Amino acid sequence: MTFSRLDWLVLVVTLVLIIAWGIYKSRTSRNLDGYFLSDRQMPWWVILLSIMGTQASAVTFLTAPGQAYTDGMRFVQYYFGLPIAMVVICLTLLPIFHRLRVFTAYEYLEQRFDLKTRTLTSFLFLLSRGLSTGISVIAPSIVLHSMLGWNFYVTNIAMGGLLIIYTTTGGAKAVAYTQQLQFIIIYAAMFVACWYAIDMLPEGVSVSDALHISGKSGKLNVITSGITPEGNFDWKDRYNIWSGVIGGFFLALSYFGTDQSQVGRYLTARNERESKLGLLMNGLAKVPLQFFILLIGIFIFAFYQFYKAPAFFNLAQEKQAMNGVYADEYKKVTARYEEIQEQKRNTATELAAALRTDDQPVIDQLRQQLQQDEVKAQLVRGDVKEIIKKANPGSDANDTNYIFLRFVGDFLPKGLIGLIIAIIFLAAWGSIAAALNSLASCTMIDFHKKFSKKQLSPEEEYNWSKWYTAGWGVFCIIAAQFAYNLGNSLIEAVNILGSWFYGTILGIFLVAFYVKRVAGTAVFWAALLAEGLVITVHLLKIVSFLWLNVIGAAGVIVFALLLQAILGKKNEPLIEISDPHKKG
Amino acid sequence: MNEFKNDSEQVPVFKSWRAWYWLVILFLAVLVVLFYFFTKNYA
Repeated sequence: MTFSRLDWLVLVVTLVLIIAWGIYKSRTSRNLDGYFLSDRQMPWWVILLSIMGTQASAVTFLTAPGQAYTDGMRFVQYYFGLPIAMVVICLTLLPIFHRLRVFTAYEYLEQRFDLKTRTLTSFLFLLSRGLSTGISVIAPSIVLHSMLGWNFYVTNIAMGGLLIIYTTTGGAKAVAYTQQLQFIIIYAAMFVACWYAIDMLPEGVSVSDALHISGKSGKLNVITSGITPEGNFDWKDRYNIWSGVIGGFFLALSYFGTDQSQVGRYLTARNERESKLGLLMNGLAKVPLQFFILLIGIFIFAFYQFYKAPAFFNLAQEKQAMNGVYADEYKKVTARYEEIQEQKRNTATELAAALRTDDQPVIDQLRQQLQQDEVKAQLVRGDVKEIIKKANPGSDANDTNYIFLRFVGDFLPKGLIGLIIAIIFLAAWGSIAAALNSLASCTMIDFHKKFSKKQLSPEEEYNWSKWYTAGWGVFCIIAAQFAYNLGNSLIEAVNILGSWFYGTILGIFLVAFYVKRVAGTAVFWAALLAEGLVITVHLLKIVSFLWLNVIGAAGVIVFALLLQAILGKKNEPLIEISDPHKKG
Repeated sequence: MNEFKNDSEQVPVFKSWRAWYWLVILFLAVLVVLFYFFTKNYA
């Protein structure tokens, strides 16, 4: 994959534009309200783009097309719980957050329970978000290192360092306005990439033919039941309609309702109405947008049915295997893969012709043939991955993240490659900037202001907040530099780590809202027990990770009720919920 | 729910937020049905 001067120009201009825009739009009051909540002046559409930009990381745009390529469209079901969660948040959490005029979601917990529950929840957030943000910095750097040969450490520092400039300078307002521009550039670039994938299909192969070919290869499995051929429900199946609606609902409820990186976005709204509109529009737009991103992978899959597809998409690892001691073995397996590809190419061409004449018996026969070819191709790709593992011990043989980028590098014109690399930076910045802002707000509001004996002026609070933002930024870059040496498996581990905490944090909030008879001490210990339960269930590999959110939330509720019954009638007074920032 | 206290709290497009909530849920249901037929048609 080569990076031309034009690509460099496009990349640099796009990034400079974003940073300049962020700094230009970042003028706010020099106090906590201005720095963390943009003076609570944002309209709903900025809220919408901001929460979408926060949720979608660089890996989202890199992985999703690759996910569709390898596993089909069923990943979209992961988002089915999100719209329901948006409605529930609008009905429950949002009115309380606005009424209390909180800075962080966890302030409410002190009002409802006590200081130790608030501090524990905020700590769980800082722990999970701090680690996952470090990984958010690593993931795109690893991909760029593998595909373009860029120095990993320099890419990390460049990606993190540039981000720190505008996030620290402009706070939440800079985050929101840059996310708005980032979102537009990202989707425009993805749309162009999709158009190229369709445009490069052989003459006579229409969009409908491409969908049929992908569908008949088992890739358009948008709705799956999770039921095995024996008629049992597969609890370890990651993406099906039930895990998506139920597990996805709990995950989205926890993420959007209790994760400060999201709560901090919609609290910047000028009023409750704007927050609600932003969240509800997210509920309407998220599933179709994710469907579109996955569809790009489907068109890339269809494209590769007619053109030579790499047996392994990670360029750096492929080169290592081809030049190492396993070179002969690798060449033999890839030759076998190319034979199957040739076979598939013929079947796909015949199928496209049969679809045009609507010759059903031939279509059925070719569909079966295509499915058999696809199974063979997957088996050979499995062999390729085995050799990759042997040739590069300790490396990640999962090349899903590289499929889209390899297609871009091999087939898209100069300039567009630069734009696609720019969207990796932009998407990474969108989510990391919001995370840094939220980490700083929790550190300042839930810890510094709460435990420091010194009374600070608004100007001093503003300056401390900037230092905390920069500090978390530096922490994430350092964590990323060290984590790289631990290998790629860490990325997967930390992604799952989010599901360890989300359920428990959500459970604490659910008890706060719906189980009025439970007080602080019971919920505090229940949260610790539920956390232990979630980690145990995960280590025993009983269910796939989406269900951990349900287990964590349900665990806190059940343990809290039991502990409250053991502790006896609630003897801790329930503090009346009022504005926590009013004095006296 | 007492959500209509001032101009800034007026519900856009519909008469109440309840209608918005139903819109979001029904839109999801329609998408699921469409995706089901999409899967069936192309697979």
